[in-house]
Amino acid sequence: MSVLREHLVVVPVVLPLATGALMLLFEERRHALKGAISVVSTLLLIAAAAALVRVVDAPATAVYRIGDWPAPFAIVLVADRLSALLVLLASVLGFAALLFSLARWHRAAPRFHALVQILLMGVNGAFLTGDLFNLFVFFEVLLAASYGLALHGAGAARVRTSLHYITVNLTASLIFLIGVSLLYGVTGTLNMADLGARINAVPEADRGLVQAGAAVLGIAFLVKAAMWPLGFWLPGVYSAASAPAAALFAILTKVGVYAVLRVWLLLFGGDEPAPAFGGWLLYGGCLTLLFGSVGMLASQDLQRIAAYSLVVSAGTLLAAVGVADAAVTAAALYYLVASTLGVGAFFLLGELIERARNPAADMLALTAEAFGIEEEAQPEEEVGVAIPATIALLGFVFACSALVIAGLPPLPGFIAKFALFAGLLAATPVPDSAWLLIALITLSGIAAVVALGRAGVRAFWMAPEGAVPRVRLIEFSAVGLLVLVCLTLTVAAGPVMRYVRDAAAALHDPRGYAREVLSVTP
Amino acid sequence: MHTLAVEHLLLLILLALPFAGSAAAMLFPVNARNAEAWLAGIVALAAVLAAWTFYPEVARGEAVRLELAWLPMLGVNFTLRMDGFAWMFTLLVSGIGFLVVLYARYYMSPQDPVPRFFSFLLAFMGSMLGAVLSGNLIQIVFFWELTSLFSFLLIGYWHHNPAARDGARMALIITAAGGLCLFVGVVLLGRIVGSYDLDAVLAAGARIRAHELYLPALILVLLGALTKSAQFPFHVWLPHAMAAPTPVSAYLHSAAMVKLGVFLMARLWPALAGTEAWMWIVGGAGLISFVLGAYISIFQNDLKGLLAYSTISHLGIVTLLLGLNTPVAAVAAIFHMMNHATFKASLFMAAGVIDHETGTRDIRILNGLRRFMPITATLAIVAAAAMAGVPLLNGFLSKEMFFAEALQASGPAPLLDRSLPYVATVGAMFSVTYSLRFIIGVFFGPDPKGLPREPHEPPRWMRFPIEILVLACVVVGVLPGLTIGPMLAVAVHAVLGADTPTYSLAPWHGFTLPLAMSLLALAGGTVLYLLLRRHLARDTDTTPFLPPIDGRHIFDRMLATLSLRWARALERVLGTRRLQPQLRWLAVLAIAAGVWPLYRSGLGGNGAASGAGDYVLGIVWLVGALCALGAAWQAKFHRLAALMLAGGAGLATCVTFVWFSAPDLALTQLLVEIVTTVLLLLGLRWLPKRIPFEWTWAGARAALPRRLRDLAIAVSAGGGLAAVAYAMMTRPMPDTISRFFVERAQPEGGGTNVVNVILVDFRGFDTLGEITVLGAVAITVYALLRRFRPAPESVDLPQRRGQGGANPADALLVPGVIMRLVFPIIYVLAFYLLARGHNLPGGGFVAGLVLAVAVILQYMAGGTRWAEARIGIGPIRWIGTGLLLGAATGAGAWLFARPFLTSHVAHLELPIVGELHVPSALAFDVGVFVLVVGATGLVLIALAHQSIRSHRPPA
Amino acid sequence: MNELIVALAIGMLTGCGTWLLLRPRTFQVVIGLSLLSYAVNLFIFVMGRLRSGAAPIVPAGPGADPAAYADPLPQALVLTAIVISFAMTALLLVVLLAARGLTGTDHVDGREPGE
Repeated sequence: MSVLREHLVVVPVVLPLATGALMLLFEERRHALKGAISVVSTLLLIAAAAALVRVVDAPATAVYRIGDWPAPFAIVLVADRLSALLVLLASVLGFAALLFSLARWHRAAPRFHALVQILLMGVNGAFLTGDLFNLFVFFEVLLAASYGLALHGAGAARVRTSLHYITVNLTASLIFLIGVSLLYGVTGTLNMADLGARINAVPEADRGLVQAGAAVLGIAFLVKAAMWPLGFWLPGVYSAASAPAAALFAILTKVGVYAVLRVWLLLFGGDEPAPAFGGWLLYGGCLTLLFGSVGMLASQDLQRIAAYSLVVSAGTLLAAVGVADAAVTAAALYYLVASTLGVGAFFLLGELIERARNPAADMLALTAEAFGIEEEAQPEEEVGVAIPATIALLGFVFACSALVIAGLPPLPGFIAKFALFAGLLAATPVPDSAWLLIALITLSGIAAVVALGRAGVRAFWMAPEGAVPRVRLIEFSAVGLLVLVCLTLTVAAGPVMRYVRDAAAALHDPRGYAREVLSVTP
Repeated sequence: MHTLAVEHLLLLILLALPFAGSAAAMLFPVNARNAEAWLAGIVALAAVLAAWTFYPEVARGEAVRLELAWLPMLGVNFTLRMDGFAWMFTLLVSGIGFLVVLYARYYMSPQDPVPRFFSFLLAFMGSMLGAVLSGNLIQIVFFWELTSLFSFLLIGYWHHNPAARDGARMALIITAAGGLCLFVGVVLLGRIVGSYDLDAVLAAGARIRAHELYLPALILVLLGALTKSAQFPFHVWLPHAMAAPTPVSAYLHSAAMVKLGVFLMARLWPALAGTEAWMWIVGGAGLISFVLGAYISIFQNDLKGLLAYSTISHLGIVTLLLGLNTPVAAVAAIFHMMNHATFKASLFMAAGVIDHETGTRDIRILNGLRRFMPITATLAIVAAAAMAGVPLLNGFLSKEMFFAEALQASGPAPLLDRSLPYVATVGAMFSVTYSLRFIIGVFFGPDPKGLPREPHEPPRWMRFPIEILVLACVVVGVLPGLTIGPMLAVAVHAVLGADTPTYSLAPWHGFTLPLAMSLLALAGGTVLYLLLRRHLARDTDTTPFLPPIDGRHIFDRMLATLSLRWARALERVLGTRRLQPQLRWLAVLAIAAGVWPLYRSGLGGNGAASGAGDYVLGIVWLVGALCALGAAWQAKFHRLAALMLAGGAGLATCVTFVWFSAPDLALTQLLVEIVTTVLLLLGLRWLPKRIPFEWTWAGARAALPRRLRDLAIAVSAGGGLAAVAYAMMTRPMPDTISRFFVERAQPEGGGTNVVNVILVDFRGFDTLGEITVLGAVAITVYALLRRFRPAPESVDLPQRRGQGGANPADALLVPGVIMRLVFPIIYVLAFYLLARGHNLPGGGFVAGLVLAVAVILQYMAGGTRWAEARIGIGPIRWIGTGLLLGAATGAGAWLFARPFLTSHVAHLELPIVGELHVPSALAFDVGVFVLVVGATGLVLIALAHQSIRSHRPPA
Repeated sequence: MNELIVALAIGMLTGCGTWLLLRPRTFQVVIGLSLLSYAVNLFIFVMGRLRSGAAPIVPAGPGADPAAYADPLPQALVLTAIVISFAMTALLLVVLLAARGLTGTDHVDGREPGE
């Protein structure tokens, strides 16, 4: 254990890798054993992440030199508040998805557990690495695993959407490579902190190339973050994917956002952050937000609504990041955590609810509404229908995650929104972009109320008699866990907000980060 | 948390109790009607008592505050604040709540699943208390939205009934949307004041009204308040909320929730009121709601509908009074809030009794009930009289004050001021009329015919709540000073503070103009009723002089259009489900992102190329370029040719690597080339045969614009990258981190092949990730192919020679015999490459690929069955082992207390290869090797395996 | 002029690759992606500038002079990139075969444009 404590920073990468590899050594059919192992390992992962959070909140940015080679030459892992928080988030989400899958999904196709672990490895690595090319590698790791998970269970819909997903992301990866190598060619380094330092020193003649490289890199990130118009692949893939996979994917867009935030602020945050890019981010985010809300309204099945709500949260985050203000960034981080958990829960829940329904009737109800066909009013026999406990519980959890997504009290979505607005309005005079963003977020909230209200009414109040989905306790506990964490976020809003505030402050002053990373000498 | 004083603790309990009760109520069995009622009743009663104990403080004009840290860095703490006004509302909410619970016990049928009902009811009570007791704006919004939520759940309680569902949804959407606006408005207020604390905000009235953000803030806050209080034009939801069980209507939609809007307006009156904007919006909305509501109410045939519209109208009076901007008017408003709550709640309950005992709520069917339920009739008549503003009842008092205020209104528009008394009188007339209709229509006249049930008095305790409320109406009406006086004074003082006006509560002020107006209204209302009697008796649902609009219908249609049709259209416009547009966007944006900065600041650099070029390289690339073009041209029709041409381009790349001193790259590229080609060959056969392409003018012309656009994209992409590459190559190298690698590779990395040392040591972490990717992909491919069913027509292709049908040997035409001789050599070569990799070109990856190639060759030579029989490796295990080996080598360093992947060098003699520096990195490299063999082998086998599978009859 | 030749080569590969990427048939897309990856590999490689006859194989013993060798780092990066793009090509191939099997067409959207 002491060893683990000493090498805490690398544990979130190595532990899942080892577990995943171990999974490959077992026979295909030994589901129980594999399930047990991955549950244990993921619990350990959560513990490690929590420990990491405590360490970096000491406060002490933890720098880990892979292979004992000094920065900036070799690869370093850097855990600051932001990275640690996201690693923790990823592992909690992963744990929930894992629990959920134990009921049935992990049998649907071979090597599910291995892929989940590899995905976690990739995500954690992307959050932790301090090296640009290594970031690329971890992107590929998580993408490769996500391809596998998106295809998990096969079926025409999954394959067709995954084809798009893979093609788009392969192209994005090539673009990523161009950006990285361009930056290397101009500055001669790959270490992000070092890059930040050297960029200010590049001769005037090379400035254009540096910015080009950074911008191209940005495009690659924004594809991951599903910014409009680069994110059309998302709704299809996520709604076609199996519930646990989709829930896991809720973190992937956040990886893109994280990359934008980290790299942009590290490279250009030192001096005046490249303002043009901020503007692009802001308005692109607004468009994404709009697109997501429209999609939520236009969709009918829960998985698709959830996928679009993910687009909404991505848009909100990108726009907030584009504002380039520490307070807003802090709010965005809080929002990131809340919305990821909420949407993750919603994905899992959607699958449970859909089980009980026959799409035909659903379709009918919807068209009836769309074309204003009045449902024949039943005689007012005023006796309620007893709801079986399952439905009641599902309803409760549904309400919770819906409240998170719509940003209504008492769940943390509301607090996040409040923090966002407060941050946006802090400036004097309030810039028009801030007004625009506030208006859009409010509208998207209303849209979410409409869409989720409609979906909820159809799922719970119009369900045919006795159509009770069979829900295994373990599935329910997975969803319950996520909702519980959300509730904790409300109660403990104070400390969490303090934490993200510090994280954002550190982000907006990259000198500290650079100092920590580059000061470590052999 | 500091130690709490008793009253603070009491505040907490007051708020927590209902929620606790709600949670508890959920746990009861479905049919536990009595237990539920007891629980809820006790909770409500406890709340009443708890509230009562605060009288001493609030009577002294003090406010009990409890503040607990919640979001300090955003300036928001969890604050409970009990002052006179909050106290009055707490009593109202808990008191009427208690009566409603008692009533509901008898109203709800034994079959109803009551736990849900009482649980929601209590939760609502809690949210309501939370809202009125909040000490800061954010917290008010917090509980505000909760009340909307629970009202939604309660309206939809009988959700098997479409009316209930739609009513609930409409209420939710309107009130929640209003709440979101309120939220923004409140944040604006907080920004203006610099604090969200209620006291601070109320103190900063002047600053708020002077601020340039005042108007937006005001509008947003009022959007919240008016939607909640169902004021014009947001009143549509209230009548449809009547689909709820009557106790809910009595509680939420007359006494409690709809009061929250006017509560907020009164609460913020000192801060926001006093401007023209306030008067126009609030007064206007109030006036219209008052008159329109009363008018429509006359023509309702459903008892609850009548009451609903009259609620809108009475809330309109309150709003109007608040909009008049005078303290006395505010007093009247607060007074009327209480009065309305009492008589309207009792009327709803009475309506519920009637519905419950007769089975209908239709005034046209109901008749002469006073003979069947005399006591209820009396109670209802008194309550209705109070509603109509008959003297000696509480309604009369506040209406008097209203008239008095209407007479001396002084707003921006004199004409309006002068006409206000008349309008007020007319509105009052209407309310007299509908009150009369309620009483006469239901209780008088001949015996009812065709009632679903035989009417009779309700159970004793079901009537009890009504009796209490009606008693209150009478007592307050007769002796206001003694009864309501002190409470009102406390509440008013809490709101208005210093500028509390002097006002007199008395049934008799002598012969005054207001009195005359009241009498006029009574007389006029009676006359109007007599005139309308015949029309009302007729079986009609329309309202004269108003277009026959059904709010719910319009709302639903609007909702459907906006949120379904338009949303779908917009989704199609904004998004796409096709791949090509996505890729086009991506390409264009990437090009733009790269070109824009360069366009702004130029490529820079001197652009001088180093000396003359080698024409050999030129020729190589001439061919390479032609190959690329050919591939681009042929990919659609002659796939095999395209594949080979692409391979040609790849070879040119290899040559370039060799040319510019990158042997490792060349080697790897070559091997990857081979493996990829084989894979694609294996895949080719499952793609559909291309229909021979017939070229037509029409087709060409149709496709032309698309092609030109793509061509432009392609050209600019190529041109851009070429330009950047050239610019980069022709400028001096900056001081790079590679220096470090070259210097340390041998001494510290223990290898002379710097590239390989970087791969397995300096940047071994990359390699670890890279092989993980390979592994993950291999697993995915395997999983996918297990389920793979090729398209039918590709299965029954004409059987080619040789076993295993799609045998790549056919494509490559390699004689098997030579192959089998070659294997041993290849194996040795592979291991040699692996061993020497650290010092000379080679390494785990290359070696692995070589071995994989050997595997392919075996396939080509022996065919799938033969090979699978002999290779006998569990490829997936190889992958796992390789990954574990890599991870283990990395973690091995932990034993020496060094970071992950730290390398250690050992020296040993080997017979053939000679003296070897064996760093631990070599073990890592072995891991790479194993994994590559496993992964590549797995993919190849899985793919080739299909050629057998697809010839079995499809299962 | 080698710089020019290589630059043109990169441009050519990129152009053809991009063109194919935007075509509607899955096989075209695959070929396009592999052409693009050649181009990108070359691009990464030339970020270390062009050096002939200076392979980064240092003599045993310390004191190797960095100036005497081609920049090894881009080569290492290219190797990683090659491997990854190889894996991804394989995956894409199998996915498109599966898509072809399940949807009955080799159009990238799983349905012929007409439908």
